[in-house]
Amino acid sequence: MEDLLFSAISFAEKLGAKYVEARYHRNSLTQLSARNGTLLGIGGGVFEGIAIRVLYGGALGFSSTNILNKDSVKEAVKTAFDNAKAHSRLMKSPIKFVDSNMGHVKYDVIPDKNFDSMDLEEKIGMLNELWKNVKDVTTEAKIPVFFTYYSESVEEKIIINSDGAYIRSRVPRIGVGYNLVVLYPQKGSIQRFFSYGASGGLEWLREWNLSENIVDEAKTYEKVLIEGKKPPEEPIDVIVGSEIVGLIVHESCGHPSEADRILGREAAQAGKSFIKPEMIGQRIGNNYATVIDDPTIPKSQGFYLYDEEGVPARARYLYKEGVINEFLHNRWTASIFNTESNGAARASNFYGEPIIRMANTYLKPGNMEFEELLEDVKIGVYMKSYMEWNIDDERWSQRYVGLESYLIENGELKEFVRNPALEITTKSFYSNIDGVDKNLKFYAGMCGKGEPAQGVPVWFGGPNVKLKNIRLRVVA
Amino acid sequence: MRDELLSLTKNVVEKALTSGFDEAAVKISSFKSAMVKIANSEPSVIQNWRYIGVEMYLAKDKRLLMFSTQTTSLDELSRVINNLFETSQKLSPSPIYSPLPEPEKIEPLPDTVDKKIIDAINDPSRPAEILIEASHRSKIDYIAGMVSLSYNEKALSTSKGADLYEDSTFLESYIRAFSGEGSGQWAVGSRYLSEKKLEEVAVTASEFAQKAKNPEEGIPDKYDIILSPMVAGNLLNVVARMSSAFSVFMGSSIFMRRRVGDKVASESFTLYDDARNPELAGSTAFDDEGLPTISKPIIHKGLLNTLLHNSKTASLMKTKSTGNAGWLFPRAWTLRVELGDASLDEMISEVKKGILVTNNWYTRLQNNVEGIFSTITRDALFYIENGEIKRPWKKLRIADTLPRLLQNIYMLGKEYYDIKWWEVDIPTRLPYILVKDIKTSKHTT
Repeated sequence: MEDLLFSAISFAEKLGAKYVEARYHRNSLTQLSARNGTLLGIGGGVFEGIAIRVLYGGALGFSSTNILNKDSVKEAVKTAFDNAKAHSRLMKSPIKFVDSNMGHVKYDVIPDKNFDSMDLEEKIGMLNELWKNVKDVTTEAKIPVFFTYYSESVEEKIIINSDGAYIRSRVPRIGVGYNLVVLYPQKGSIQRFFSYGASGGLEWLREWNLSENIVDEAKTYEKVLIEGKKPPEEPIDVIVGSEIVGLIVHESCGHPSEADRILGREAAQAGKSFIKPEMIGQRIGNNYATVIDDPTIPKSQGFYLYDEEGVPARARYLYKEGVINEFLHNRWTASIFNTESNGAARASNFYGEPIIRMANTYLKPGNMEFEELLEDVKIGVYMKSYMEWNIDDERWSQRYVGLESYLIENGELKEFVRNPALEITTKSFYSNIDGVDKNLKFYAGMCGKGEPAQGVPVWFGGPNVKLKNIRLRVVA
Repeated sequence: MRDELLSLTKNVVEKALTSGFDEAAVKISSFKSAMVKIANSEPSVIQNWRYIGVEMYLAKDKRLLMFSTQTTSLDELSRVINNLFETSQKLSPSPIYSPLPEPEKIEPLPDTVDKKIIDAINDPSRPAEILIEASHRSKIDYIAGMVSLSYNEKALSTSKGADLYEDSTFLESYIRAFSGEGSGQWAVGSRYLSEKKLEEVAVTASEFAQKAKNPEEGIPDKYDIILSPMVAGNLLNVVARMSSAFSVFMGSSIFMRRRVGDKVASESFTLYDDARNPELAGSTAFDDEGLPTISKPIIHKGLLNTLLHNSKTASLMKTKSTGNAGWLFPRAWTLRVELGDASLDEMISEVKKGILVTNNWYTRLQNNVEGIFSTITRDALFYIENGEIKRPWKKLRIADTLPRLLQNIYMLGKEYYDIKWWEVDIPTRLPYILVKDIKTSKHTT
């Protein structure tokens, strides 16, 4: 395979390319799906191919093939080169890549427990066991549907470019997800989609404590459904659970800090950013607002050590103590901003171009206990989990609708409230933080961006956060 | 490549049977495509793909396996099949198993290939240039967007004796134009390459951007809402996915507590899965089980006419396949909404207090069974009062339920638009749609 990649580099250089990059990318996946404990089937696949990028005349050509022979790869190089050449006449601002340190390295994520250390039958049995444990835990409501999946995947890459990069990596990932429907016809239904994910192996199954957590959730949702009240309408304190905080920082800090978005490259797809190129150093929140994106967290879902352009990864402090501090860069955006790439170029598969992506984004935790966040709240709401959310295409106005939510009275959690909606601007969120606890937790997600859309595995996380003086909306 | 692809699908089916599987279906997809992505009114990247993929459906003693790979080497595929056979011994019978259907006569769709698209794949710079030029005929700041051209082939063989092939072309393009604080976006999805269609996309986006140039803060309330084909297309894609019988089976559908024949929408509303309309991108003559597709209403004059089925969901729900396989998940091929008789101006004149929403994104549901959702507008949004557009507004959310939205459809346009883009994944042909009394929302702080 490496020979094919090296031959692609030398062929493009012969054609006159200023820069060329060849990436072998292989994703293999196995997934079990069950409904109400019964296995529906097994699915999976192997998706492998080669991606080529060529820079010529200030235009960028990308080509991809999964026909892995010399002729096909040569044709892919020629196509990428010809396209760059043909479109170079339309370029008003020729594309350049900044100089970067190029990695020359091999790295693997080694699971503590390999996927094959557990039989397929045991994995099927695990899904069946989850259903057995959850199906009768509600007293009045029913659980008509409990869909589960278990997935294991391996992502392997070899990246070589004309600037000297050679990166060979192997990252296994594991995931479990479910759709739980709790139905009480007099009051309707509650639905919960949730997924766990990480890099590594079967060691995560114990960590996730699936059965206990799912049973607790089902019991809780029955109560929310039957007993849940409307949230208060006046401005109150809101404690936002770490699950929602993680999503908020992903959506309202990570995405708007992507330098390609700031420069308008994604304007017709994922949108632009409220952050403009000159806003480094401007205040977006108070001193609690420190958001970090770090690809190097061991065993994380978004783990990598070098990006698809061969640049070493590192932690990026996007907002620091309330100030816009750093953007996510690839080598092109770094050249525009006259800075260094911080290694954010990722592609999800062999047919995706590397674009700027997050990895593991989180709000910096504090020192308080959760109870300390609660203690001086006279009246408030604690939103622990969510289902519905969205944010505008500049990442300013956002909405999160609570699923498991509680009324807080005089520092204590009281009855459930149903469907409270936190609808808030980015600046208001980061400016109204009144306290953060020390309970940093991460949640798995697939982040979508690009054209064709590429979903990359990420974590997002944070502690529990108290916001002052927030008016919630109610979803009827 | 028809003969090569069919020869391979037949051989792989044969290999699966000799390896011990009871049944097999094998689909090979091959495509060549090119895409020019545009940002700041210039190409940001020109992308090309050459792809062949093999998908296998295998059954042994009612145990189900589905596997995708990209090798076309029969030896390698044989090795994969042998491994899968070993795996099958460890599985339990699937409750959704039913035998693959007996083949039926397939009438091919005419005119599914446009040679102009095949030619343009080799050099897509001309379509890109048209988009950039046409959008800048209006006084706007800049555009972003893309044009994508593809030639697709699929071959399918099943162990019941179906051996089928189809090729088709596909154009997708969308442009977003920016003018001051205003923006406009429009899209097209088509079988055929037409410079006129590309120009219309660019010109429409630019006109909206100009008209929305100085937007004021919007005020959330309950409104009559005119949904552009971009917005209605997005929301009806969600409805169409929920009409898959598998979505109902998995507890992810507003139709979970409904039956065929129930009133689920306004009487004026008919939504087709127009699978056999060759003009529509996404149309196809046969499904993944080798059955002929059928153009049929999902919702007919407000009544739920059918869920979308493959033979498995049909067997579970004691009905017939609707030709929408997906081996596991039945899906709509291409959507069409029956026209009404209103012009856009007539619709606007009907609105006492409302909004015209030209584009949206990020539709998410709090609950798929109840259909509680919100989506946020992007691009030109106009406030309407007493039958006239008063001013452009900044973003609002539409935050209501899908059942109420369908029931409150009041008026349908008399002109079709063919829409396909990021937020309208299933190609959809539809007019403007006016819905009454729908809630909107906005940040409180």
